Amino acid sequence: MRVVEAFVGEYASGKSENAINRSLELLSQNQKVTLVDLDTVEPFYTLRPLKKALQEMGLNVIAWSPEQTMGLGEAGSLLNPEMIWALKNEGSIVLDIGYGVHGAKIFNLIEGADTDPNLQVYAVVSIARPMTATKEDIVRYIKDLGNVDGLINNTHLGSETTPDVIEEGAWVITEAARELGLPVMYTAVCQELADKFANTDKMGNPIKIIRRFMPQAFW
Amino acid sequence: MSEKPVKGERRVFMTGNEVCAWAALAAEADIMYGYPITPQTDIMQYWTRLGPKFGRKFLQTEDEISAGFTTVGGVIAGKRAFSATTGPGNTLFQEPMSMAEMMRIPTVVIIPQRGGPSTATVIYSQQEVTMTTFGGNGEGFRIVYSTAGHQDLYDYTIKAFNTAWKYRFPTFVLGDGYQAKMREPLTIYDPAERGIKMVETEPLVGLPGTPGVDRPAQYLRNTYNTEEELYDVVMDIAKDYEKAAPEIIEWQDFDTDTEMDVLILAHGVVSRSAQGALPLLKDEGIRAGHFRPITLRPMPEEQMRRAAAKAKRILVVESAYGQFLKLVKQSLYGMDKPIDTLLRPGVGVTAEEIVDRIKEGR
Repeated sequence: MRVVEAFVGEYASGKSENAINRSLELLSQNQKVTLVDLDTVEPFYTLRPLKKALQEMGLNVIAWSPEQTMGLGEAGSLLNPEMIWALKNEGSIVLDIGYGVHGAKIFNLIEGADTDPNLQVYAVVSIARPMTATKEDIVRYIKDLGNVDGLINNTHLGSETTPDVIEEGAWVITEAARELGLPVMYTAVCQELADKFANTDKMGNPIKIIRRFMPQAFW
Repeated sequence: MSEKPVKGERRVFMTGNEVCAWAALAAEADIMYGYPITPQTDIMQYWTRLGPKFGRKFLQTEDEISAGFTTVGGVIAGKRAFSATTGPGNTLFQEPMSMAEMMRIPTVVIIPQRGGPSTATVIYSQQEVTMTTFGGNGEGFRIVYSTAGHQDLYDYTIKAFNTAWKYRFPTFVLGDGYQAKMREPLTIYDPAERGIKMVETEPLVGLPGTPGVDRPAQYLRNTYNTEEELYDVVMDIAKDYEKAAPEIIEWQDFDTDTEMDVLILAHGVVSRSAQGALPLLKDEGIRAGHFRPITLRPMPEEQMRRAAAKAKRILVVESAYGQFLKLVKQSLYGMDKPIDTLLRPGVGVTAEEIVDRIKEGR
């Protein structure tokens, strides 16, 4: 059965990083995977600069390449027809959505988004991001986002991340998830800290080890 | 609605533009006037998301000429007012900022530099140094802080309001597109918890009492009738500026207390690369030091000269074609020191590139 997942959330919460890692995970399970750039909000830190490298790893990537939007500057964040029909691709599909409520409105333009039986929407949350730092903030934010099927704990402080930081995120986000009646899909842990964790965080959420790709994707 | 946006202090992960919005909130700024332009628009996006919760105001104007003048107006009305712009927007801002210089209006403007000249790129540069330090038809009676990262953006956005209102010069926080969009951890804090008291603002017109009787006349002018009048006014401003300069200048020294083969001069985010180059140069047996001016206006000239005196050569590194170099030469005039350059307009400079430049020599 194919997987269709969309990653939504606050600005700089870790949506693209998690979308890439999820795509590669599905690929390693011998699935055909299409990763779709649906960020028409923010021109910096999108999948676009990584398109070639990700394709070389075996992913089908629907995104403008920087050469295709030469000269458009920040106006290169336009929809192309492949994106509109993204869900018609065979195999699994991972959608990287632009931030916030306006980013999530992109679903209105994706053919079949309202009827696809497999589509799951996950909100990536980091409590190190001040707008989603407390349980109350997170609950309010997720309610505004529209349809969300689960939360992902992606709490980190960049190179200063420690297991405590991640666990604190797990605690706050799990509390918020309980109030929202949503599952916490996993807690993301960067490779460098992998050996500090067992299979679950202290709240019982599964740990997923992720690799960093986005630092190469500034522009 | 006087709840504090930042209580105590906390380590967070943010983008540079957000940092500026949070700092302005923490600094109790009352109102932002703005016009969108990449890569600074997030400052107003975060200000307008967060501001209403704390009773802060915002006005989007029809262009940057208006954004600058409305900021001047807000300040004249006694509000802690600020704006943000860059590139072609910064060019348009020179009209209102010249007025702020003439009338000693304590505006605060955040500038995340993008490529130039003209529209160029929306990404990054250090090409607005000339414009921000000596722009418009003024004499550069401005205060300019060149930040090198998110902690600086937070600290100096708060400080900018205090420096502006204490000394009454238009004040700028000069960042760049890389700082604006990149993400890194920093500590956000309530200034009061660190003993920072925000300098009181006051209206500059409509003051109570009778002018000439209860108080001197408050006569804000940006236009004069004769050459001699103008001369007296400008010389007065110059005197105040020079008197305030020693209290305002800030800089950082790295390994400049001994004799050096080369002194690297750089500001803003390029300073981080210069700092990164020092241990690499040491490994190669090259005695290098780095002087980083934090205020570009007023420039810490004496301190720069003192560091330069101990070096055989100087290397100026910037993401522009000589804008910082010009300020350096002005500061080091008369010193018989060879100056090498690494000029990369609109392009980031890495520590390795600085090392290579020094090794390739003259």
